[in-house]
Amino acid sequence: MPREIEFREALREAMSQCMRDDPRVFLMGEEVAEYNGAYKVSKGMLDEFGPRRVIDTPISENGFAGLGIGAAMMGLRPIIEFMSWSFSLVAADQILNNAPKMLYMSGGQFGCPIVFRGNNGAGGQLGSTHSWCVESLYANVPGVKIVLPTTPYEAKGLLRTAILDPDPVFFLESERMLGMKGDVPEEPYEVPFGKARIVREGTDCTIVSFGRPVHFCIEAAETLEKDGIDCEVLDGRSVRPLDIDAIVKSVRKTNYCVVVDQAWPFASISSEIASQVHKRCFDDLDNHVHRVNADDVPAPYAYNLEQEMLPNARKIVEAVRSATYQA
Amino acid sequence: MSIDITMPRLSDTMESGTILKWNVKEGDEVSSGDVVADVETDKATMEMQVYDDGTIARIVVDEGDTVDVGTVIAILAEEGEDPSGVDSSSESSEKKSKKKEAKASDDEDEEDSSDEEKSTATATKDRDDDEDDDSEEDDSDRESKSKKKDDSKKESRREDSEAESDDRGEKDSDRSRSDEGAGGNGRLRVSPVARRLADDHQIDVRNIQGSGPSGRIIKRDVMNAIESGAETRASVPPGAKRKSTSDVAHPIVPAAAQDEDQAPGPLEETSIKLSNMRQTIAKRLVESKTTIPHYQVTLTFNMDPLLELRKTLNQQLEPQGVKLSVNDFLVRACAIAMHRHHEVNASWGEDHIKVHGEVNVGIAISLPASRGGGLVVGVIRNADQMGLRGISAESKRLAEKARTKGLTTEEMSDSTFTISNLGMFGVEHFTAIINPPNSAILAVGAAIQKPVVRDGALAVGHEMQATLSLDHRVIDGAMAAEYLRTLKQIIENPASVLV
Repeated sequence: MPREIEFREALREAMSQCMRDDPRVFLMGEEVAEYNGAYKVSKGMLDEFGPRRVIDTPISENGFAGLGIGAAMMGLRPIIEFMSWSFSLVAADQILNNAPKMLYMSGGQFGCPIVFRGNNGAGGQLGSTHSWCVESLYANVPGVKIVLPTTPYEAKGLLRTAILDPDPVFFLESERMLGMKGDVPEEPYEVPFGKARIVREGTDCTIVSFGRPVHFCIEAAETLEKDGIDCEVLDGRSVRPLDIDAIVKSVRKTNYCVVVDQAWPFASISSEIASQVHKRCFDDLDNHVHRVNADDVPAPYAYNLEQEMLPNARKIVEAVRSATYQA
Repeated sequence: MSIDITMPRLSDTMESGTILKWNVKEGDEVSSGDVVADVETDKATMEMQVYDDGTIARIVVDEGDTVDVGTVIAILAEEGEDPSGVDSSSESSEKKSKKKEAKASDDEDEEDSSDEEKSTATATKDRDDDEDDDSEEDDSDRESKSKKKDDSKKESRREDSEAESDDRGEKDSDRSRSDEGAGGNGRLRVSPVARRLADDHQIDVRNIQGSGPSGRIIKRDVMNAIESGAETRASVPPGAKRKSTSDVAHPIVPAAAQDEDQAPGPLEETSIKLSNMRQTIAKRLVESKTTIPHYQVTLTFNMDPLLELRKTLNQQLEPQGVKLSVNDFLVRACAIAMHRHHEVNASWGEDHIKVHGEVNVGIAISLPASRGGGLVVGVIRNADQMGLRGISAESKRLAEKARTKGLTTEEMSDSTFTISNLGMFGVEHFTAIINPPNSAILAVGAAIQKPVVRDGALAVGHEMQATLSLDHRVIDGAMAAEYLRTLKQIIENPASVLV
């Protein structure tokens, strides 16, 4: 039965349903238990599942990330919550050097079925050290799966897929979206990785994005429609695996491509997609792939500067106009 | 690595060229863009540039010699290369087989650059010593490498210059357009999908004006060309002689879309790539002005009766949506005047004069900047057989079509006389260049209100000046004057254009 619930509730429902189904699944992180979650994602979970499966940790990302990886190697299904992906950087050795390589390094003896999840991207005036978009940085590592949900429906289905997945999954939420409401079925369901979602069909320009900026893309597409530019918006869902086939198919139709990426431009998701599109769609392109990224500076604290630094609908509109020679 | 300088294709029809003069001698240093020679083509004498920096190592073709396009005419040694050691790929063919053998037996050939340097030096030295047996291998080694690269380069150049097929023709035009913009290598800029679409529809991209950055031809330019269809078909044989029309003279009506950029910023120096149309205009007008002995005859017309008649007619025709222009009257008047002066409706045929059996009046139509500017001549066929209403409709149709979709070759063909009208700009008087193979073109100014002498008294009236440019080989002054006198009679007694 679909009903309207918040993004955070959809996440909670995915975790709770998996935990009811499978006793190996547990949640661990800072303030996930007694405080009901720093962002109330895990509200009520301690009551239902008890302190053995909903575990508060000290402020020690490197420690509890490693603890989770060890548990996963030994057969459990940990969900590790980072209050913010910005804090995952102190656990870099665990999450980048151990988790994605475990299956390979152990010659197949140990897998690492673990989900790391938390808020990614600018939360709004959190300053440069707490506003990380880690997807471009982490996507460089082979062995990880990186997922960015865009709606409550997507969040619930993708998180279930992540928990059931046999490999480490980085699940990148946004605190700006946790209150977003949407129709979500009560029963469990899965949304596959590596299958882009066509959010909006169009013929004149392909816009590809992931996570929160998809909403900016929709806004931009609505503005552009008034000018007679009919954009196709793709939500990639996961950057690894990347559904390049869907992007290619769309670009072959429209001949133009704009990639919107909330991370910095250098060596980023957008540059990777641009490169792959240039390779696969060379004869279909009427212009080079245009990119909209966060500006190549540390996130500013000042509200107006931060807004200017981040991707937004206006920048996307400009990029599409430029890409389609209608600037 | 030496660079072959080949006879460039400097015009569409050029097959061979003559070196009139070398501006450099062996040993001279040159940089990209330097004019190294004057080359005479089938059409003109042109300056030939080099596109690389280096030292002229050898001049292969002497002044006065004529060679085919693509032939090596000089060899350039690159920086750091000993000019005395360079060799052209087209020379030294006698060494070829020997080199191939050496190549086959040499495992390290492509690998060791220090070895290459050494062998290059050796080769240079050994060349001076005559090739003895010891040096043979080194020499061959170097030669085989340079040979290989030279061969491939030469191959690609040959493709460029000898290409007749359409897609290769693009490369050809890359060279002839040359020297523009950011790429620095003068390539014709075409987006990949635009190129593919053009190929699919057999459109020759050289005939398309690009609207993208730096003149890049983009998808919508090709789509427009596909829609307009005319003149861009690659299937038109490149050597086929153009029909006797189009692309000449002056605009009859100002282009609808004027550039509205009024910002009074500083002017910028820019270089505008020649469109195919612009090239044709340039070529044909130079041909006309330099080969036809032009002269001009001007006459002033009293326009009051015609303007009066036009006003009356337009009032009566308004319910039918017909609005006659002054130019429609002129087309009609010029056409019927031909019946009394056949010789004006004629063409020079080198050993004869061809007097035409039809009166087809061309009208110069300027094109809007959005279509790349320029102008074309639309032809009103058998204008002497048509009434004013028919001429008006045809004239409007041609102008509209020229500015939106483009005219077909047929709509620009077979004119026997041309009218160019700048009256709507307020121009009083100008002269036009004959649109070959016409023998005459009428340049029409504005009907201007001014003090005039009528019946020995000063009055206010409308006068218009029209100037006929003529080919003296076909039409003498007195004949021209008589034609204009007839035209004047018709225009000043305009009832005759009605019947």
